[in-house]
Amino acid sequence: MTYLGEIFVMAMTAIFIQNFILSRFLGLCPYLGVSKKLDSAIGMGLAVIFVMTLASAFCYLIDIFLLRRFGLEYLQTIAFILTIAALVQFVEMVIQKNAPALYKSLGVFLPLITTNCAVLGVAILNTGMLRSDGTAYNFLDSVLNGFFSGVGFTLMLLAMAGIRMRLEMVEMPKSMKGMPIALILAGTMALAFYGFMGFKI
Amino acid sequence: MMYYLKLGFILLIFCVVATGILAYLNTLTAPIIQDRKTKDEIDTREKLIPDAVFAADSTASGMQYFRARAKEDSTLVLGYTFICSQKGYSSEVKTMVGIDKDFKVLAIKVIDQAETPGLGANCEQESFSNQFKNLAEADLKVDKDGGQVVSLSGATITSRAIASSIQAGIAAIKASMGAEL
Amino acid sequence: MNFFKELTKGIIKENPIFVIVLGMCPTLAVTTSVKNAIGMGLAATFVLLCSNIIISLIKDITPSSIRIPIYIVVIAAFVSVVNMLMEAYVPALHKSLGLFIPLIVVNCIILGRAEAFASKNNVIMSAADGIGMGLGFTLSLMVVSTIRELLGAGTWLGIKILPATYDPMLVAILAPGAFLTLGFLMAILSMVKEKKQ
Repeated sequence: MTYLGEIFVMAMTAIFIQNFILSRFLGLCPYLGVSKKLDSAIGMGLAVIFVMTLASAFCYLIDIFLLRRFGLEYLQTIAFILTIAALVQFVEMVIQKNAPALYKSLGVFLPLITTNCAVLGVAILNTGMLRSDGTAYNFLDSVLNGFFSGVGFTLMLLAMAGIRMRLEMVEMPKSMKGMPIALILAGTMALAFYGFMGFKI
Repeated sequence: MMYYLKLGFILLIFCVVATGILAYLNTLTAPIIQDRKTKDEIDTREKLIPDAVFAADSTASGMQYFRARAKEDSTLVLGYTFICSQKGYSSEVKTMVGIDKDFKVLAIKVIDQAETPGLGANCEQESFSNQFKNLAEADLKVDKDGGQVVSLSGATITSRAIASSIQAGIAAIKASMGAEL
Repeated sequence: MNFFKELTKGIIKENPIFVIVLGMCPTLAVTTSVKNAIGMGLAATFVLLCSNIIISLIKDITPSSIRIPIYIVVIAAFVSVVNMLMEAYVPALHKSLGLFIPLIVVNCIILGRAEAFASKNNVIMSAADGIGMGLGFTLSLMVVSTIRELLGAGTWLGIKILPATYDPMLVAILAPGAFLTLGFLMAILSMVKEKKQ
Protein backbone atom coordinates (compact mmCIF):
# COMPACT_ATOMS: atom_id res chain seq x y z
CA MET A 1 0.00 0.00 0.00
CA THR A 2 1.29 3.42 -0.78
CA TYR A 3 1.87 5.84 2.05
CA LEU A 4 -1.14 7.98 1.10
CA GLY A 5 -3.37 4.93 1.31
CA GLU A 6 -1.93 4.14 4.70
CA ILE A 7 -2.73 7.65 5.90
CA PHE A 8 -6.27 7.38 4.57
CA VAL A 9 -6.83 4.14 6.47
CA MET A 10 -5.39 5.74 9.60
CA ALA A 11 -7.71 8.74 9.25
CA MET A 12 -10.82 6.61 8.75
CA THR A 13 -9.90 4.41 11.71
CA ALA A 14 -9.18 7.32 14.03
CA ILE A 15 -12.22 9.37 13.05
CA PHE A 16 -14.93 6.77 12.53
CA ILE A 17 -14.11 3.16 13.32
CA GLN A 18 -12.19 3.64 16.55
CA ASN A 19 -13.56 7.04 17.45
CA PHE A 20 -11.92 8.28 20.64
CA ILE A 21 -15.16 9.09 22.38
CA LEU A 22 -17.58 6.46 21.18
CA SER A 23 -15.41 3.40 20.99
CA ARG A 24 -12.29 4.07 23.06
CA PHE A 25 -14.02 6.01 25.85
CA LEU A 26 -11.42 8.74 26.05
CA GLY A 27 -12.13 12.41 26.63
CA LEU A 28 -15.62 11.93 28.02
CA CYS A 29 -15.46 14.69 30.63
CA PRO A 30 -15.24 17.54 28.07
CA TYR A 31 -17.58 15.60 25.77
CA LEU A 32 -20.33 15.67 28.38
CA GLY A 33 -19.31 18.92 30.06
CA VAL A 34 -18.55 21.34 27.21
CA SER A 35 -21.19 20.20 24.73
CA LYS A 36 -24.04 22.41 25.86
CA LYS A 37 -23.30 25.25 23.45
CA LEU A 38 -22.07 25.02 19.88
CA ASP A 39 -19.57 27.90 19.99
CA SER A 40 -17.82 26.67 23.12
CA ALA A 41 -17.74 23.17 21.59
CA ILE A 42 -15.94 24.60 18.55
CA GLY A 43 -13.39 26.35 20.77
CA MET A 44 -12.76 23.24 22.84
CA GLY A 45 -12.54 21.04 19.75
CA LEU A 46 -9.95 23.21 18.02
CA ALA A 47 -7.88 23.47 21.20
CA VAL A 48 -7.96 19.67 21.58
CA ILE A 49 -6.89 19.05 17.96
CA PHE A 50 -4.01 21.48 18.43
CA VAL A 51 -2.78 20.04 21.71
CA MET A 52 -3.24 16.39 20.66
CA THR A 53 -1.14 16.94 17.54
CA LEU A 54 1.62 18.68 19.48
CA ALA A 55 1.49 16.18 22.35
CA SER A 56 1.81 13.25 19.91
CA ALA A 57 4.91 14.87 18.42
CA PHE A 58 6.67 15.69 21.69
CA CYS A 59 5.76 12.48 23.48
CA TYR A 60 6.99 10.46 20.51
CA LEU A 61 10.35 12.22 20.64
CA ILE A 62 10.62 11.79 24.40
CA ASP A 63 9.66 8.14 24.18
CA ILE A 64 12.21 7.30 21.49
CA PHE A 65 15.13 9.51 22.46
CA LEU A 66 14.87 9.44 26.25
CA LEU A 67 12.76 6.62 27.62
CA ARG A 68 13.54 3.78 25.20
CA ARG A 69 17.18 4.75 24.74
CA PHE A 70 17.92 4.57 28.45
CA GLY A 71 15.48 1.79 29.35
CA LEU A 72 13.25 4.06 31.40
CA GLU A 73 9.89 2.82 30.10
CA TYR A 74 8.52 2.68 33.62
CA LEU A 75 8.68 6.49 33.77
CA GLN A 76 6.38 6.80 30.75
CA THR A 77 3.30 7.96 32.65
CA ILE A 78 5.08 10.64 34.65
CA ALA A 79 7.14 11.87 31.69
CA PHE A 80 4.18 12.10 29.32
CA ILE A 81 1.86 13.89 31.72
CA LEU A 82 4.55 16.44 32.60
CA THR A 83 5.28 16.98 28.92
CA ILE A 84 1.61 17.58 28.23
CA ALA A 85 1.19 19.89 31.22
CA ALA A 86 4.25 21.92 30.21
CA LEU A 87 3.13 21.98 26.59
CA VAL A 88 -0.33 23.25 27.46
CA GLN A 89 1.18 25.95 29.68
CA PHE A 90 3.59 26.97 26.94
CA VAL A 91 0.93 27.06 24.23
CA GLU A 92 -1.23 29.17 26.50
CA MET A 93 1.55 31.72 26.99
CA VAL A 94 2.46 31.88 23.31
CA ILE A 95 -1.13 32.33 22.17
CA GLN A 96 -1.80 34.92 24.84
CA LYS A 97 1.16 37.04 23.70
CA ASN A 98 0.93 36.65 19.93
CA ALA A 99 -2.70 36.06 19.11
CA PRO A 100 -4.97 37.68 21.66
CA ALA A 101 -8.04 37.08 19.51
CA LEU A 102 -7.38 33.35 19.39
CA TYR A 103 -6.62 33.36 23.10
CA LYS A 104 -10.01 34.85 23.79
CA SER A 105 -11.78 31.97 22.07
CA LEU A 106 -9.47 29.11 23.09
CA GLY A 107 -7.90 30.37 26.31
CA VAL A 108 -10.46 29.16 28.81
CA PHE A 109 -10.30 25.62 27.46
CA LEU A 110 -6.54 25.18 27.50
CA PRO A 111 -6.09 24.51 31.24
CA LEU A 112 -8.86 21.91 31.05
CA ILE A 113 -6.97 19.99 28.40
CA THR A 114 -4.15 18.86 30.69
CA THR A 115 -6.57 16.55 32.43
CA ASN A 116 -8.31 15.47 29.22
CA CYS A 117 -7.54 11.79 29.04
CA ALA A 118 -7.76 11.85 25.24
CA VAL A 119 -4.44 13.72 25.08
CA LEU A 120 -2.51 11.39 27.38
CA GLY A 121 -4.39 8.51 25.79
CA VAL A 122 -3.25 9.26 22.26
CA ALA A 123 0.35 9.73 23.43
CA ILE A 124 0.39 6.33 25.15
CA LEU A 125 -1.52 4.59 22.34
CA ASN A 126 0.93 5.92 19.75
CA THR A 127 3.79 4.06 21.41
CA GLY A 128 2.01 0.76 20.85
CA MET A 129 0.37 1.34 17.47
CA LEU A 130 1.37 -0.67 14.45
CA ARG A 131 1.12 0.12 10.77
CA SER A 132 -0.48 -2.39 8.43
CA ASP A 133 2.93 -3.92 7.64
CA GLY A 134 3.55 -4.59 11.32
CA THR A 135 6.23 -1.95 11.99
CA ALA A 136 5.88 0.59 14.77
CA TYR A 137 4.60 4.09 14.10
CA ASN A 138 7.24 6.57 12.99
CA PHE A 139 7.27 10.26 13.87
CA LEU A 140 4.95 11.37 11.06
CA ASP A 141 2.49 8.54 11.75
CA SER A 142 2.26 9.52 15.39
CA VAL A 143 1.66 13.18 14.62
CA LEU A 144 -0.97 12.36 12.00
CA ASN A 145 -2.68 9.89 14.31
CA GLY A 146 -2.82 12.57 16.99
CA PHE A 147 -4.30 15.02 14.52
CA PHE A 148 -6.94 12.62 13.15
CA SER A 149 -7.92 11.41 16.61
CA GLY A 150 -8.44 15.04 17.57
CA VAL A 151 -10.58 15.56 14.48
CA GLY A 152 -12.69 12.54 15.44
CA PHE A 153 -13.09 13.91 18.93
CA THR A 154 -14.12 17.36 17.67
CA LEU A 155 -16.59 15.92 15.18
CA MET A 156 -18.39 14.05 17.95
CA LEU A 157 -18.28 17.07 20.24
CA LEU A 158 -19.91 19.24 17.56
CA ALA A 159 -22.57 16.65 16.73
CA MET A 160 -23.40 16.31 20.40
CA ALA A 161 -23.55 20.09 20.92
CA GLY A 162 -25.84 20.47 17.92
CA ILE A 163 -28.26 17.85 19.21
CA ARG A 164 -28.20 19.13 22.77
CA MET A 165 -29.04 22.68 21.68
CA ARG A 166 -32.17 21.38 20.02
CA LEU A 167 -33.00 19.22 23.01
CA GLU A 168 -33.24 22.36 25.12
CA MET A 169 -36.55 23.08 23.44
CA VAL A 170 -37.93 19.58 23.82
CA GLU A 171 -40.26 18.67 26.63
CA MET A 172 -39.18 15.58 28.50
CA PRO A 173 -39.50 14.04 31.95
CA LYS A 174 -37.61 16.15 34.46
CA SER A 175 -35.48 13.26 35.61
CA MET A 176 -34.13 12.72 32.09
CA LYS A 177 -32.86 16.27 31.70
CA GLY A 178 -29.15 17.05 31.62
CA MET A 179 -26.70 14.19 32.06
CA PRO A 180 -29.04 11.17 31.60
CA ILE A 181 -30.31 12.25 28.20
CA ALA A 182 -26.79 13.22 27.12
CA LEU A 183 -25.52 9.73 27.98
CA ILE A 184 -28.41 8.00 26.23
CA LEU A 185 -27.78 10.18 23.17
CA ALA A 186 -24.13 9.19 23.23
CA GLY A 187 -25.18 5.55 23.44
CA THR A 188 -27.40 5.91 20.40
CA MET A 189 -24.58 7.60 18.50
CA ALA A 190 -22.20 4.81 19.49
CA LEU A 191 -24.72 2.27 18.17
CA ALA A 192 -24.84 4.13 14.87
CA PHE A 193 -21.04 4.15 14.73
CA TYR A 194 -20.95 0.38 15.04
CA GLY A 195 -22.24 0.49 11.48
CA PHE A 196 -18.78 1.67 10.42
CA MET A 197 -17.35 -1.63 11.55
CA GLY A 198 -19.61 -3.49 9.16
CA PHE A 199 -21.01 -5.24 12.17
CA LYS A 200 -24.59 -6.33 12.79
CA ILE A 201 -25.77 -6.28 16.40
CA MET B 1 13.87 35.82 38.14
CA MET B 2 14.99 34.34 41.47
CA TYR B 3 11.36 33.58 42.19
CA TYR B 4 10.96 31.50 39.04
CA LEU B 5 14.23 29.70 39.64
CA LYS B 6 13.03 28.80 43.12
CA LEU B 7 9.75 27.45 41.75
CA GLY B 8 11.54 25.44 39.12
CA PHE B 9 13.91 24.10 41.76
CA ILE B 10 11.06 22.95 44.00
CA LEU B 11 9.36 21.21 41.10
CA LEU B 12 12.65 19.60 40.14
CA ILE B 13 13.10 18.22 43.66
CA PHE B 14 9.67 16.64 43.52
CA CYS B 15 10.43 15.04 40.16
CA VAL B 16 13.78 13.72 41.35
CA VAL B 17 12.29 12.20 44.50
CA ALA B 18 9.44 10.62 42.51
CA THR B 19 11.83 9.25 39.91
CA GLY B 20 14.09 7.85 42.60
CA ILE B 21 11.25 5.99 44.28
CA LEU B 22 10.02 4.64 40.97
CA ALA B 23 13.50 3.53 39.92
CA TYR B 24 13.88 1.63 43.18
CA LEU B 25 10.46 -0.02 42.82
CA ASN B 26 11.26 -0.90 39.24
CA THR B 27 14.35 -2.83 40.31
CA LEU B 28 12.07 -4.79 42.64
CA THR B 29 9.22 -5.54 40.25
CA ALA B 30 11.04 -5.89 36.92
CA PRO B 31 12.60 -9.30 37.76
CA ILE B 32 9.24 -10.58 39.06
CA ILE B 33 7.52 -9.55 35.83
CA GLN B 34 10.30 -11.12 33.76
CA ASP B 35 10.24 -14.35 35.78
CA ARG B 36 6.50 -14.64 35.47
CA LYS B 37 6.62 -14.12 31.73
CA THR B 38 9.27 -16.81 31.30
CA LYS B 39 7.43 -19.18 33.58
CA ASP B 40 4.12 -18.60 31.78
CA GLU B 41 5.80 -19.35 28.48
CA ILE B 42 7.27 -22.61 29.75
CA ASP B 43 3.96 -23.65 31.31
CA THR B 44 2.03 -22.97 28.13
CA ARG B 45 4.59 -24.85 26.05
CA GLU B 46 4.27 -27.89 28.29
CA LYS B 47 0.51 -27.79 28.02
CA LEU B 48 0.61 -27.67 24.22
CA ILE B 49 2.90 -30.69 23.89
CA PRO B 50 2.88 -32.69 27.16
CA ASP B 51 5.64 -35.06 28.26
CA ALA B 52 8.31 -33.52 26.09
CA VAL B 53 11.75 -31.98 26.42
CA PHE B 54 12.15 -28.71 24.57
CA ALA B 55 15.20 -27.32 22.82
CA ALA B 56 15.35 -23.86 21.30
CA ASP B 57 16.12 -23.52 17.64
CA SER B 58 15.56 -20.94 14.95
CA THR B 59 14.72 -20.91 11.27
CA ALA B 60 16.94 -19.41 8.60
CA SER B 61 14.71 -16.34 8.60
CA GLY B 62 15.37 -15.86 12.30
CA MET B 63 12.06 -17.08 13.73
CA GLN B 64 12.54 -18.80 17.05
CA TYR B 65 10.85 -22.12 17.72
CA PHE B 66 11.20 -25.07 20.07
CA ARG B 67 11.73 -28.67 19.04
CA ALA B 68 9.90 -31.09 21.32
CA ARG B 69 11.42 -34.54 21.89
CA ALA B 70 9.83 -37.35 23.89
CA LYS B 71 11.01 -37.59 27.50
CA GLU B 72 11.74 -41.34 27.32
CA ASP B 73 13.32 -41.37 23.91
CA SER B 74 15.30 -38.31 22.90
CA THR B 75 15.56 -39.34 19.25
CA LEU B 76 11.80 -39.20 18.82
CA VAL B 77 10.70 -35.75 17.66
CA LEU B 78 7.16 -35.09 18.84
CA GLY B 79 6.69 -31.75 17.19
CA TYR B 80 7.45 -28.07 17.44
CA THR B 81 6.12 -25.07 19.29
CA PHE B 82 6.41 -21.45 18.25
CA ILE B 83 4.92 -18.06 19.02
CA CYS B 84 3.34 -16.15 16.17
CA SER B 85 1.62 -12.81 16.11
CA GLN B 86 -0.33 -10.61 13.78
CA LYS B 87 -2.26 -7.37 14.11
CA GLY B 88 -5.91 -8.12 14.84
CA TYR B 89 -8.67 -5.57 15.15
CA SER B 90 -7.28 -3.30 17.84
CA SER B 91 -4.13 -5.02 19.05
CA GLU B 92 -1.33 -7.42 18.28
CA VAL B 93 -2.69 -10.94 18.79
CA LYS B 94 -0.01 -13.36 19.98
CA THR B 95 -0.59 -17.08 19.83
CA MET B 96 1.56 -19.98 20.97
CA VAL B 97 1.17 -22.98 18.72
CA GLY B 98 2.11 -26.62 19.11
CA ILE B 99 2.36 -28.71 15.93
CA ASP B 100 3.23 -32.36 15.45
CA LYS B 101 6.03 -33.66 13.27
CA ASP B 102 3.72 -33.73 10.23
CA PHE B 103 3.07 -30.01 10.78
CA LYS B 104 -0.52 -30.49 11.89
CA VAL B 105 -1.73 -28.31 14.75
CA LEU B 106 -1.83 -30.10 18.12
CA ALA B 107 -3.09 -27.20 20.20
CA ILE B 108 -2.96 -23.43 20.31
CA LYS B 109 -3.24 -20.85 23.03
CA VAL B 110 -3.76 -17.13 22.56
CA ILE B 111 -1.28 -15.63 25.00
CA ASP B 112 -1.58 -11.92 24.40
CA GLN B 113 -4.39 -9.78 22.99
CA ALA B 114 -6.42 -6.67 23.74
CA GLU B 115 -9.32 -7.08 21.35
CA THR B 116 -12.88 -5.82 21.91
CA PRO B 117 -14.41 -7.41 25.03
CA GLY B 118 -17.38 -9.59 24.13
CA LEU B 119 -16.24 -9.99 20.52
CA GLY B 120 -12.58 -10.45 19.59
CA ALA B 121 -11.53 -11.09 23.17
CA ASN B 122 -13.47 -14.38 23.01
CA CYS B 123 -10.56 -15.79 21.00
CA GLU B 124 -9.06 -16.91 24.33
CA GLN B 125 -11.97 -19.27 24.92
CA GLU B 126 -11.43 -22.97 24.38
CA SER B 127 -14.44 -23.34 22.11
CA PHE B 128 -12.54 -21.22 19.63
CA SER B 129 -9.01 -22.53 20.10
CA ASN B 130 -10.07 -26.20 20.12
CA GLN B 131 -11.23 -26.07 16.53
CA PHE B 132 -7.63 -25.55 15.40
CA LYS B 133 -6.75 -29.11 16.45
CA ASN B 134 -5.55 -31.33 13.60
CA LEU B 135 -5.66 -28.59 10.99
CA ALA B 136 -2.93 -28.62 8.38
CA GLU B 137 -1.34 -25.54 6.86
CA ALA B 138 -3.82 -25.35 3.98
CA ASP B 139 -6.90 -25.50 6.23
CA LEU B 140 -5.81 -22.60 8.40
CA LYS B 141 -8.19 -20.04 7.02
CA VAL B 142 -11.45 -18.68 8.37
CA ASP B 143 -14.67 -20.01 6.86
CA LYS B 144 -15.21 -16.78 4.93
CA ASP B 145 -11.92 -17.37 3.10
CA GLY B 146 -12.72 -21.02 2.40
CA GLY B 147 -10.89 -22.56 5.36
CA GLN B 148 -12.02 -24.67 8.28
CA VAL B 149 -11.88 -22.16 11.14
CA VAL B 150 -15.32 -20.90 12.17
CA SER B 151 -14.71 -17.26 12.98
CA LEU B 152 -15.89 -15.64 16.19
CA SER B 153 -19.16 -13.79 15.74
CA GLY B 154 -18.48 -10.14 15.05
CA ALA B 155 -14.73 -10.69 15.04
CA THR B 156 -13.69 -12.02 11.65
CA ILE B 157 -10.59 -9.82 11.69
CA THR B 158 -9.34 -11.28 14.95
CA SER B 159 -10.03 -14.84 13.81
CA ARG B 160 -8.32 -14.20 10.50
CA ALA B 161 -5.26 -12.73 12.22
CA ILE B 162 -4.86 -15.82 14.38
CA ALA B 163 -5.39 -18.29 11.56
CA SER B 164 -3.08 -16.59 9.12
CA SER B 165 -0.31 -15.97 11.66
CA ILE B 166 -0.30 -19.70 12.49
CA GLN B 167 -0.27 -20.53 8.80
CA ALA B 168 2.72 -18.28 8.23
CA GLY B 169 4.53 -19.79 11.21
CA ILE B 170 4.01 -23.34 10.00
CA ALA B 171 5.11 -22.36 6.51
CA ALA B 172 8.33 -20.87 7.90
CA ILE B 173 9.14 -24.00 9.91
CA LYS B 174 8.31 -26.27 6.99
CA ALA B 175 10.59 -24.26 4.74
CA SER B 176 13.46 -24.41 7.17
CA MET B 177 12.97 -28.19 7.69
CA GLY B 178 12.89 -28.64 3.97
CA ALA B 179 16.23 -26.91 3.72
CA GLU B 180 17.67 -29.21 6.41
CA LEU B 181 16.42 -32.37 4.76
CA MET C 1 -17.43 11.70 64.50
CA ASN C 2 -16.21 14.10 61.90
CA PHE C 3 -13.81 11.47 60.65
CA PHE C 4 -16.66 9.09 60.09
CA LYS C 5 -18.60 11.71 58.16
CA GLU C 6 -15.70 12.30 55.76
CA LEU C 7 -15.40 8.57 55.30
CA THR C 8 -19.00 7.94 54.31
CA LYS C 9 -19.89 11.05 52.34
CA GLY C 10 -18.24 9.73 49.18
CA ILE C 11 -20.42 6.66 49.12
CA ILE C 12 -23.80 8.30 48.70
CA LYS C 13 -24.05 12.01 49.40
CA GLU C 14 -21.09 13.11 47.31
CA ASN C 15 -20.71 10.02 45.17
CA PRO C 16 -18.01 10.93 42.61
CA ILE C 17 -19.76 9.33 39.65
CA PHE C 18 -23.48 9.71 40.15
CA VAL C 19 -23.54 13.02 42.00
CA ILE C 20 -20.38 14.97 41.10
CA VAL C 21 -20.12 13.28 37.65
CA LEU C 22 -16.33 12.98 37.49
CA GLY C 23 -14.12 10.26 36.07
CA MET C 24 -16.48 9.16 33.34
CA CYS C 25 -13.90 7.54 31.07
CA PRO C 26 -12.92 4.62 33.30
CA THR C 27 -16.52 4.32 34.48
CA LEU C 28 -17.65 3.56 30.98
CA ALA C 29 -14.60 1.77 29.67
CA VAL C 30 -13.74 -0.82 32.31
CA THR C 31 -17.23 -1.79 33.46
CA THR C 32 -17.49 -4.61 30.93
CA SER C 33 -17.07 -7.08 33.79
CA VAL C 34 -17.37 -6.87 37.57
CA LYS C 35 -13.82 -8.14 38.00
CA ASN C 36 -12.39 -5.29 35.94
CA ALA C 37 -14.54 -2.80 37.81
CA ILE C 38 -13.29 -3.95 41.22
CA GLY C 39 -9.68 -3.93 40.02
CA MET C 40 -9.99 -0.43 38.62
CA GLY C 41 -11.84 0.83 41.69
CA LEU C 42 -9.24 -0.49 44.11
CA ALA C 43 -6.34 0.81 42.02
CA ALA C 44 -7.91 4.27 41.95
CA THR C 45 -8.67 4.09 45.68
CA PHE C 46 -5.04 3.30 46.43
CA VAL C 47 -3.83 6.22 44.33
CA LEU C 48 -6.44 8.53 45.83
CA LEU C 49 -5.55 7.56 49.40
CA CYS C 50 -1.76 7.89 48.90
CA SER C 51 -1.93 11.13 46.94
CA ASN C 52 -4.36 12.68 49.42
CA ILE C 53 -2.02 11.83 52.32
CA ILE C 54 1.12 13.15 50.61
CA ILE C 55 -0.54 16.30 49.30
CA SER C 56 -1.99 17.06 52.69
CA LEU C 57 1.46 16.58 54.26
CA ILE C 58 3.21 18.91 51.82
CA LYS C 59 0.49 21.54 51.63
CA ASP C 60 2.54 24.05 53.66
CA ILE C 61 5.66 23.81 51.51
CA THR C 62 3.95 23.88 48.10
CA PRO C 63 3.99 27.31 46.44
CA SER C 64 0.44 27.91 45.27
CA SER C 65 1.47 29.00 41.76
CA ILE C 66 2.95 25.59 40.89
CA ARG C 67 0.70 23.43 43.04
CA ILE C 68 -1.06 21.75 40.10
CA PRO C 69 2.17 20.45 38.47
CA ILE C 70 3.33 19.20 41.86
CA TYR C 71 0.05 17.40 42.46
CA ILE C 72 0.34 15.85 39.03
CA VAL C 73 3.86 14.60 39.77
CA VAL C 74 2.73 13.07 43.07
CA ILE C 75 -0.29 11.41 41.45
CA ALA C 76 1.66 10.19 38.43
CA ALA C 77 4.27 8.63 40.72
CA PHE C 78 1.64 6.66 42.62
CA VAL C 79 -0.05 5.61 39.40
CA SER C 80 3.26 4.25 38.12
CA VAL C 81 3.67 2.38 41.40
CA VAL C 82 0.23 0.80 40.99
CA ASN C 83 1.02 0.00 37.37
CA MET C 84 4.23 -1.83 38.27
CA LEU C 85 2.70 -3.70 41.22
CA MET C 86 -0.26 -4.83 39.14
CA GLU C 87 1.93 -6.00 36.29
CA ALA C 88 3.98 -8.04 38.75
CA TYR C 89 1.24 -9.59 40.87
CA VAL C 90 -2.05 -9.52 38.92
CA PRO C 91 -0.92 -9.70 35.28
CA ALA C 92 -4.28 -10.80 33.86
CA LEU C 93 -6.10 -7.85 35.40
CA HIS C 94 -3.28 -5.50 34.35
CA LYS C 95 -3.71 -6.72 30.82
CA SER C 96 -7.46 -6.28 30.67
CA LEU C 97 -7.44 -2.80 32.21
CA GLY C 98 -4.59 -1.88 29.87
CA LEU C 99 -4.45 1.78 28.91
CA PHE C 100 -6.79 2.79 31.72
CA ILE C 101 -4.23 2.22 34.47
CA PRO C 102 -1.86 5.00 33.33
CA LEU C 103 -4.94 7.09 32.62
CA ILE C 104 -5.79 7.12 36.34
CA VAL C 105 -3.40 10.12 36.34
CA VAL C 106 -5.92 12.23 34.48
CA ASN C 107 -8.93 10.89 36.34
CA CYS C 108 -10.53 14.14 37.42
CA ILE C 109 -11.61 12.65 40.75
CA ILE C 110 -8.05 12.38 42.02
CA LEU C 111 -6.82 15.82 41.03
CA GLY C 112 -10.20 17.19 42.07
CA ARG C 113 -9.95 15.79 45.60
CA ALA C 114 -6.34 16.94 45.89
CA GLU C 115 -7.31 20.49 44.99
CA ALA C 116 -10.66 20.65 46.77
CA PHE C 117 -9.95 18.69 49.93
CA ALA C 118 -6.42 17.44 50.64
CA SER C 119 -4.78 20.82 50.10
CA LYS C 120 -6.98 22.37 52.77
CA ASN C 121 -7.35 19.65 55.42
CA ASN C 122 -5.12 17.66 57.76
CA VAL C 123 -3.70 14.24 57.03
CA ILE C 124 -6.28 12.13 58.86
CA MET C 125 -9.25 13.88 57.29
CA SER C 126 -7.63 13.68 53.85
CA ALA C 127 -7.01 9.97 54.25
CA ALA C 128 -10.65 9.46 55.25
CA ASP C 129 -11.77 11.52 52.28
CA GLY C 130 -9.54 9.49 49.96
CA ILE C 131 -10.86 6.15 51.20
CA GLY C 132 -14.47 7.33 51.15
CA MET C 133 -14.29 8.75 47.65
CA GLY C 134 -12.38 5.70 46.44
CA LEU C 135 -14.97 3.34 47.86
CA GLY C 136 -17.79 5.41 46.39
CA PHE C 137 -16.06 5.19 43.04
CA THR C 138 -15.52 1.43 43.37
CA LEU C 139 -19.13 0.79 44.40
CA SER C 140 -20.49 2.86 41.52
CA LEU C 141 -18.29 0.94 39.09
CA MET C 142 -19.59 -2.30 40.56
CA VAL C 143 -23.21 -1.24 40.13
CA VAL C 144 -22.71 -0.31 36.47
CA SER C 145 -20.65 -3.41 35.73
CA THR C 146 -23.11 -5.73 37.48
CA ILE C 147 -25.88 -4.58 35.17
CA ARG C 148 -23.69 -4.78 32.08
CA GLU C 149 -22.23 -8.17 32.85
CA LEU C 150 -25.61 -9.67 33.77
CA LEU C 151 -27.29 -8.41 30.62
CA GLY C 152 -24.35 -8.89 28.28
CA ALA C 153 -22.99 -12.25 29.41
CA GLY C 154 -25.48 -13.60 31.94
CA THR C 155 -22.75 -13.84 34.56
CA TRP C 156 -21.58 -12.05 37.70
CA LEU C 157 -17.87 -12.13 38.50
CA GLY C 158 -17.65 -14.90 35.92
CA ILE C 159 -20.26 -17.08 37.69
CA LYS C 160 -23.25 -18.04 35.59
CA ILE C 161 -26.33 -16.39 37.12
CA LEU C 162 -28.98 -16.28 34.46
CA PRO C 163 -30.29 -19.60 33.05
CA ALA C 164 -28.71 -20.94 29.89
CA THR C 165 -31.90 -20.17 27.98
CA TYR C 166 -31.10 -16.46 28.37
CA ASP C 167 -29.63 -15.19 25.14
CA PRO C 168 -26.98 -12.62 26.18
CA MET C 169 -27.63 -9.10 25.01
CA LEU C 170 -24.18 -8.50 23.60
CA VAL C 171 -24.75 -4.78 23.16
CA ALA C 172 -24.61 -4.27 26.94
CA ILE C 173 -20.91 -5.18 26.99
CA LEU C 174 -20.08 -3.14 23.89
CA ALA C 175 -19.51 0.61 23.89
CA PRO C 176 -23.14 1.74 23.34
CA GLY C 177 -24.32 -0.36 26.27
CA ALA C 178 -22.02 1.55 28.59
CA PHE C 179 -23.58 4.90 27.74
CA LEU C 180 -27.13 3.57 27.84
CA THR C 181 -26.72 1.79 31.18
CA LEU C 182 -25.20 4.81 32.88
CA GLY C 183 -27.78 7.12 31.30
CA PHE C 184 -30.74 5.12 32.57
CA LEU C 185 -29.14 4.64 36.00
CA MET C 186 -28.74 8.40 36.36
CA ALA C 187 -32.29 9.03 35.20
CA ILE C 188 -33.61 6.59 37.82
CA LEU C 189 -31.47 8.22 40.53
CA SER C 190 -32.72 11.69 39.76
CA MET C 191 -36.28 10.38 39.67
CA VAL C 192 -35.86 8.92 43.16
CA LYS C 193 -34.40 12.20 44.37
CA GLU C 194 -37.34 14.10 42.90
CA LYS C 195 -39.86 11.85 44.65
CA LYS C 196 -38.14 12.42 47.99
CA GLN C 197 -38.42 16.17 47.79
